[in-house]
Amino acid sequence: MSVASTITNPILEVDGVTMRFGGLVANDCVSFQVKRGEVFALIGPNGAGKSTLFNAITGVHQATEGRVRFEGKEIRRDWSATIFARMVLNGFVLAFFVTLAIRATTLWKDVIVANYVYDEPFPIAQAARSIGTSLWSMGLWAVLLPALIGFAVGAGGYVTLWSRARRTPDLIARAGMGRTFQNIRLFGELSVIENVLVGMHAKLRCGFLANMLRLPRFYRENVVAHQKAQELLRFVGLQSRASEAARNLPYGLQRRLEIARALAGEPRILLLDEPAAGMNPTETGTLMELIRRIRDSGVTVLLIEHHMRVVMGVSDRICVLNFGKQIAQGTPEQIRNDPACIEAYLGKEELG
Amino acid sequence: MSAAPMWKKLLRVDVALLILACLLPVVDQRWHLDMVDPMRGVMVFAILALGLNIVTGFTGLLHLGMAAFMAIGAYAFAISSCDIYPFQLGFWWAMLCTAIVGAFAGVLLGAPTLGLRGDYLAIVTLGFGEITQDVLKNLDVITKGTQGINPLPSPHVPWWTATGFGMLEFTSEQELPWYWLFLGFVVVAVVVCRNLERSRTGRSWLAVREDELAARCMGIAPVPVKMIAFATGAALAAVSGGLWVSMYSSTGEPGNYDFQVSILALCIVIVGGMGSINGVLVGAIAMLGLANIALPKIASAMQSAGWVSSGSVFGSPNNWKYLVFGLVLVVMMRVRPDGLLPAKLSIVNAKKKNAVEPAP
Repeated sequence: MSVASTITNPILEVDGVTMRFGGLVANDCVSFQVKRGEVFALIGPNGAGKSTLFNAITGVHQATEGRVRFEGKEIRRDWSATIFARMVLNGFVLAFFVTLAIRATTLWKDVIVANYVYDEPFPIAQAARSIGTSLWSMGLWAVLLPALIGFAVGAGGYVTLWSRARRTPDLIARAGMGRTFQNIRLFGELSVIENVLVGMHAKLRCGFLANMLRLPRFYRENVVAHQKAQELLRFVGLQSRASEAARNLPYGLQRRLEIARALAGEPRILLLDEPAAGMNPTETGTLMELIRRIRDSGVTVLLIEHHMRVVMGVSDRICVLNFGKQIAQGTPEQIRNDPACIEAYLGKEELG
Repeated sequence: MSAAPMWKKLLRVDVALLILACLLPVVDQRWHLDMVDPMRGVMVFAILALGLNIVTGFTGLLHLGMAAFMAIGAYAFAISSCDIYPFQLGFWWAMLCTAIVGAFAGVLLGAPTLGLRGDYLAIVTLGFGEITQDVLKNLDVITKGTQGINPLPSPHVPWWTATGFGMLEFTSEQELPWYWLFLGFVVVAVVVCRNLERSRTGRSWLAVREDELAARCMGIAPVPVKMIAFATGAALAAVSGGLWVSMYSSTGEPGNYDFQVSILALCIVIVGGMGSINGVLVGAIAMLGLANIALPKIASAMQSAGWVSSGSVFGSPNNWKYLVFGLVLVVMMRVRPDGLLPAKLSIVNAKKKNAVEPAP
C-alpha cells in the first residue's frame, strides 16, 4: 500500500474519515488529499463506501470521526458574534410574545380599553404610561417569569438548531463544492435551463422584493443569468434542449444536465458520482472529453466511477476503497499493477 | 424558431379570464344573471387559493389550515380599522397592515415547524387552523368573541369621484364597486405570484418541492426558502380575509373560518392544478361557481319545475353541495388527476433565448 504523499496546498483534504451506521463501518479511517486542478478518482467494488464518503464530504451525512478540509479549513458554522446576536434577538422576540400572549387580556384592558373613549383622539402618551403601570401592578415575577421562559425557549431553540446544522450541504455547496448524484436527482418538472438556474441560486443576489416587484436589477441579473445558463448548456452539449422538461431527457443527457447544474454554482471542486453509469461507449467517450474540459477550465474533479476505461483515461490519481478501507492510492499506472487492487476486483489467484 | 405573433401571445388563459371578468358586469346587467354578487366570493377565494398554491403547489408543503390565516387577516383588518378600537386606519393602510400581520403569522407558524416533513407538517397546520378559531373566540376582550367586529371601513378611492365615477360607492347595497375592487386585487395577486414563480425565489420553491436534498446540494437552505413561501402564502390569505370582511363590514364569528374553508381552498388548488396560477383561477371559478352560482340555479329550476318542494332536503343547495363537491373531486381524480389546467413549464424565457441562438 502506497503511503499518501503530503501535498502542498491541497484543495481538499480527507483526514481519517470514519463513517459508522450502528455496527456497520462504511468508511474506516479514509485519508487522501486532492491537488488543485487534478482529476482524482475514487474507485472500488460495489458497497465499498464510495458514495458514503461523498456524502460525508458534502455534508449530507456527518462523519463519525475524522475531518474534511476544503481549501485548508473545515466548512462549518462556527460560533460567532452574529450567531450570538441572533440567539439573543430570537430570545427577546419570543420573550416579548410569550409575555404578551399570557398577559394579552389584562394589557389590552389597561392600555386600550381604559384609555380609549369612543370618537375621541387616543391619548398615546397616557396609554404608553399605562403599559408601565399595568405591568407593574401585575407584580415583578408575573411578568418576568413568562419573559424568562420565552427567552430560554427562543435562545435555546436557536442554539439547538445551530448546533444540529453546523455542517449542512447548502453551506458546503455555497463554499464552492458542486456535486452530482449516483441516482440522478434532477428537478424533473422544471425545464432544463431552469435546472441550471437553480444551480446558480447562491450566485444570484436578487431578493424577494426585487423579484416580486420586478425591479430593474431583477431584469439585469436575469439576462446575465440566462446567458450564463445557456453557455453552460452549450458546454455540456444541451443547448438545443433548454426548454424541455428535465425528466423527458434521455438518461445520458440527464447526467450531463446534472453536471451543468453543479457547475452553475461556480464550484472550485466538482464531485461526480458515477457519471458514466448506464452510458454506451460513445457517450462514455464524450463524457471523458467533458471531464477533461472541466478540469482544463480550472475546476478540480473528484470522481467515483466503475467504468475502468473512464477512470484510467481521465484521472491523474486514484484512491481504491474496499469494504470501507483504503487499500491503495497512486497514479493509474501504479493502481493497474497493485496486487491488492487486482485482488479486490478480480479475486485472489488460486492457481499459478 | 420564430417569435410568436402578438395575437398568439395574448391568447392566454389569464388574459381571456380578465376580458371575461371585465365583460361580465355588462352581460350580467343585460340578461339579469345575478352573477356579480357570487363572483365576489369567487375572487376572494381565488386570492386565498393563490396563497395556498404558493405553499402547496410551488413548495410542496401540504397546508390544511389556510383558513386560520384568512381569520388572522380578517381580524387584523378589523382591529386596525374599526372605530371601536383606537387605531382606525383607513382601508388601504389597514390592508397593508393585514398583509404584514399575515406574513408575520406565517413566519411565527413556520419557524418552529418547517423542519417537519410531509404529513407531520400537515397535522400541525391542521391544528393551527383549529386553535386560531378558538383563540379568536376566547380572546373576547380584544376580538369581541362570537359577536364579530363591525362596522368596518369601505375603501376610499378619490379619483373615481373626481372623474365622475361617483356612483361607484362602496356600500353593502352596491355590488359593482366591490366587484371591480376585488378584480383589481386578484390581478395584483396573480402578477405577484407570476413574478415570484419566474424568479430566483420561485425556482428555489420549486427545487425544494422537486428534490429537497438536491436543492440543498445546490446551496439552497430549505428552511428559509419554505419560510418565505409560508409568509407569502399567509399574506395573500390574510388579504383575502381582509377583503372578505370589508365587503360584509363585519368579521362575522370566528367559527366562519373553519376547516371547511381550508379544505375548499385546497380543493380549488387540486381541481385547478397544483402549482398552476391559471389553474387556480379556473379552479376557483369551477368550485365556487358550482357552489354559489350553478347549484342555486339548479335548485330553483328544480323547484319551479315542481320536482322538489322548497321545504325538502333538495330545496337548498347548502344541504347537498358537499355531495356534488365529493363527486367532482372523484371524477377529477379519475379523469384529470393533474387538474383542469396543469402547471406548464415556465419556458418563455428559455424559448426566447433559443430563438436568438439556434442550435449548431
